[in-house]
Amino acid sequence: MSVDTNAVLPGRNTTPAARDQRRRPAPSRRPRARRQVLPYLLLAPAVLAILALLGYPVVTVVITSFQQLDLGQLVRHETVWVGFANYREILSDPDFWTITVRTLVFTAACVASIVLGGLVTAQLMRHAGKVVRMIMQIALLLAWAMPVISATTVFQWIFDQNYGILNKTLVALGLHGFTGYDWFSTGPSTLTIIVILLAWQGIPFAAFTIYAGLLTIPADLYEAASIDGAKPRQAFGAVTWPALKPIVMITVFLEILWDFKVLTQVWVIRNGGPDGGSTTLSVLQYLDGISGHHYGVAAAVSVLMILIIIAVTAQYIRLLVRAQEVEI
Amino acid sequence: MSRTKRISVSVAGLAVAVVFAFPTYWMISSAVKPRGDIITTSYDLFPVHLTFSHFVDAVEKPGFGIYLRNSLMVTLGALACALVAGLLAAIPLSRMRFRGKRGFLMLVLCAQLAPFEALLIPMYLLMRQFNLDTKLTSLLLIYFVSTLPFTVWTLRGFINGIPADLEEAAQVDGAGRWGAFWRVTFPLLGPGLVATSVYAFITAWNEFLYAFVLMQDSSHYTLPVWLATFQTAFGTDWGGSMAASTLFTIPVLVFFLVVQRNLVGGMTAGAVKG
Repeated sequence: MSVDTNAVLPGRNTTPAARDQRRRPAPSRRPRARRQVLPYLLLAPAVLAILALLGYPVVTVVITSFQQLDLGQLVRHETVWVGFANYREILSDPDFWTITVRTLVFTAACVASIVLGGLVTAQLMRHAGKVVRMIMQIALLLAWAMPVISATTVFQWIFDQNYGILNKTLVALGLHGFTGYDWFSTGPSTLTIIVILLAWQGIPFAAFTIYAGLLTIPADLYEAASIDGAKPRQAFGAVTWPALKPIVMITVFLEILWDFKVLTQVWVIRNGGPDGGSTTLSVLQYLDGISGHHYGVAAAVSVLMILIIIAVTAQYIRLLVRAQEVEI
Repeated sequence: MSRTKRISVSVAGLAVAVVFAFPTYWMISSAVKPRGDIITTSYDLFPVHLTFSHFVDAVEKPGFGIYLRNSLMVTLGALACALVAGLLAAIPLSRMRFRGKRGFLMLVLCAQLAPFEALLIPMYLLMRQFNLDTKLTSLLLIYFVSTLPFTVWTLRGFINGIPADLEEAAQVDGAGRWGAFWRVTFPLLGPGLVATSVYAFITAWNEFLYAFVLMQDSSHYTLPVWLATFQTAFGTDWGGSMAASTLFTIPVLVFFLVVQRNLVGGMTAGAVKG
């Protein structure tokens, strides 16, 4: 994304002042102290908000996971420490492991379909004519704009067993087996529809982000590549992909975070059913905590979810940090 | 590009457009169909009879005005906070050099990493502690902090994408550091500000889970919660649900239409030619 001319981060032995001296030949007349305070002042509102509204809950969730906190303790303001009992309870439950594997497969399916769909859609937008591109953008905006609850409801209506337009269309095409076919009869089938729903909702954002990245690539580079005799595929490898890679990586990273924890759609479609067959980790945590009032057990599931997220995305953070080192 | 290739790109593009537009079309067309035309086994891709009774029913439901006001308050409040705090933070993280910069970048990344669905319980306990658990303020704060990291990160990316050469050129021409930023970089940031606003607006407006869990009193419901109760209260009233969903979608669409022209960036290409 960045064709930044700023230098690589200097080594640790150089002082910030020395770096500034080196970067800007004409030294600023402003005193050094003020320049050092300014960045922190500008960061303060965002940092304070993150620490108070995110840092504190993260600490609380860890603490709560070592407590027995049911409705009774909550109302009576009691603190009952139980050590690792909540974790032992969860980890010895085979259902937890089934749900974990299911959640990981579900996440992978979502991320793959959204990122690939976004890439293809962005390339189509870039190469399409003005009118077709406009139509595509309107359609993608419509999908992107549709609220989660509305989209979930509409998808249930489209996939409806008796009057859904999908079954009606399939029957009209001669596939009479789909008369009254129940798309939500099994867990995998239900989750597949949720993946389709999430891909439909997620691809517009990925496509627009990648498309914006495509537009930041100066046209001169393509001209230069074609003057040098590059074929379209070579131009993609030499010009498009290097400029696009950071954006695609960030999209992958964000999608993993968003799709792994997704709860609203899964909950609204079938409350994790049928028979718990579409229950993911976030649904499990919701069922334990909000429905069951076992806040301690639910907090332990939340902590495990956070740990899994860290494990899954650690590689991407490392890639992002490495990318920044050469780009900041 | 060859003629065949241009046609196949157009066809593929239009197919993508149909797939993405269809649910919206289906929502609206189901909302304007009379009840009898919805629960039917005959094939009905296009509405035959039109009615607006579903919309009238939805708006005349008690509390609709209050839910609309609640939704607007938390959404616009969170959007404004995220944009101001996000831009202020993005400037030093992109353009300045200072001790601990990497640490702050990591903090933003970690904040993005925070799965809000996994913080439902501590957030509930936190808001309870400050007696905010049933108040709209809690939603505004949660939506603010849930959109902030993305706002910072994206705006920083956009500022990175604007060549520092432009600012340095302005400084050589005699502009101060801030003058250079506000007059050169900030106007080019339009697409970035628009993209982040759109994202923050959609995130906050659509949020269902926290509103559902925290807002116990029905006078504090936001529209998504109302939509969900609408479905349960009326069972399989697809027409009513679709009409309510359509109404809920309209402000987002208006917002999109207002900003849509600014969405396409790329204004910097050619500005730093030798």
